[in-house]
Amino acid sequence: MGQSLLKTSMIAIVLTAAAVPALAHHSGTMFDDKKEVTLTGVVKEFQYSDPHSWLLVDVKGEDGKVTTWGFEAEGPSSLTRAGIRFKDFMPGTVITITGHPMKDGRPAATWMKATRESDKKEFVPAAGFVIR
Amino acid sequence: MRIAPSLAVSFLVVGVFIGGHAVVRPGLHAQSASPSVNPAAPPAWVNQESNWAANKEKLQAFGDRFATSEAMYEALKQQARGGKPLTWSQMAQPAYDWSGVYSRSKLSLHFDSDLPNTSGPVSARLTPAGQAIVKAKADQLARTGGEYDPISDCRPPGVPRWFTEPFLHEFIVTPNQTWLINEMVNDVRRVYTDGRTHTPEDDAYPSWNGDTVGFWDGDVLVTHTTHLMKGQYQRGVQPNYSEKTTVVERWHKVNPKTLQADVWVFDPINLVKPWYTRQSWTQLTNDDKQLRIRYWDCRENSNNNIVVREDGTSQFPDFTFVPNDAAVSNDPAVKKAQEPRGTPAPAARPAQR
Repeated sequence: MGQSLLKTSMIAIVLTAAAVPALAHHSGTMFDDKKEVTLTGVVKEFQYSDPHSWLLVDVKGEDGKVTTWGFEAEGPSSLTRAGIRFKDFMPGTVITITGHPMKDGRPAATWMKATRESDKKEFVPAAGFVIR
Repeated sequence: MRIAPSLAVSFLVVGVFIGGHAVVRPGLHAQSASPSVNPAAPPAWVNQESNWAANKEKLQAFGDRFATSEAMYEALKQQARGGKPLTWSQMAQPAYDWSGVYSRSKLSLHFDSDLPNTSGPVSARLTPAGQAIVKAKADQLARTGGEYDPISDCRPPGVPRWFTEPFLHEFIVTPNQTWLINEMVNDVRRVYTDGRTHTPEDDAYPSWNGDTVGFWDGDVLVTHTTHLMKGQYQRGVQPNYSEKTTVVERWHKVNPKTLQADVWVFDPINLVKPWYTRQSWTQLTNDDKQLRIRYWDCRENSNNNIVVREDGTSQFPDFTFVPNDAAVSNDPAVKKAQEPRGTPAPAARPAQR
């Protein structure tokens, strides 16, 4: 799997009740939780920050144009609890990532699940709220 | 409803698990199988077990007996004969060692964590004004599908919303103060237990966490909070609370992994009777000690900026998606001001001849 875009898909899914709170700093109503977007691209930057982190991913379209997508998740402590470390997504890391996209079509989404292509390891931010 | 006679007897024991075996130590209340109580006295600590629904009603009814939080707090203090100050030597006892990193035991953001997120305030008895606010929120959500959360601009949640936040917590007991810490926006509630009274009325002013004093009734920390800011218990169709809100709490370590608080919120604007809830936090497993609370800079990443739209919903302004250092501020003047002192200025242009 190369660094160029492999696939972009928009899949309507049935809305299910969230098991964990999402985006506790702001309402998540700008995202469409009835849709998912799955993209493959290259990590541009991991903004490991409060109150929310952003994983910036450069995605190359079929026309060759690169678009930077932002995937939003909770801050560092919740990501730590989910086993997601700052150094897991160094620039250049190739990933496939799924999220709920923005309703207005801008290139951003909530981060539901990311898979690192090098070792197929999955990273799910929502796991950071599980009590254990 | 009167308090069931069975709730007063408590045993000063605690089960501390060491190597998987329960060891009984003095310090914590444990609920008896069929405790009894003097109806005039406050209930002893009630564990949250299978008969919780009935016991919750009794604790709610206890709060109903008081017209104000001040009256309730004074009654609890009288019952405890003024309370007994802690000593440093007690800090090693399990009942007062609240160390560790905790998270809210239930993932619901509802103020009453017995209820799901999407539930209305069914356990709160609202005034007509309080009901009107909840209805307006429900209408807004039905009309737009969205809302704006006031904490989106990085203001703190404030008490009583403080209880609902899902992030890491620490609880530090000392003889003269107890600190109740929420990592979100570095939020610390200080409970003064050194015998001081509330800030004199002439000096008092409203603040997010208000003014809290307390005393120890055995191993139960009883607190009273006044001078709060108005706010909302959470998003969705949960009620608002007014600047007249005051709160009585009873905190207790119920087992080595769990801290709980009985909370009675008094708000003459929005509540007909105090809203009783049981709040609970579970100590997280942290064997490698890598889970720790760090400084929470709510404004460090401008991609988290949120604006409120005309229809009352939330939206991001333009994303920057620029390198994180620059994301703090894109204003050149601000960036310049943020540079460490002594940073060399750009080379001056050669003078023209």
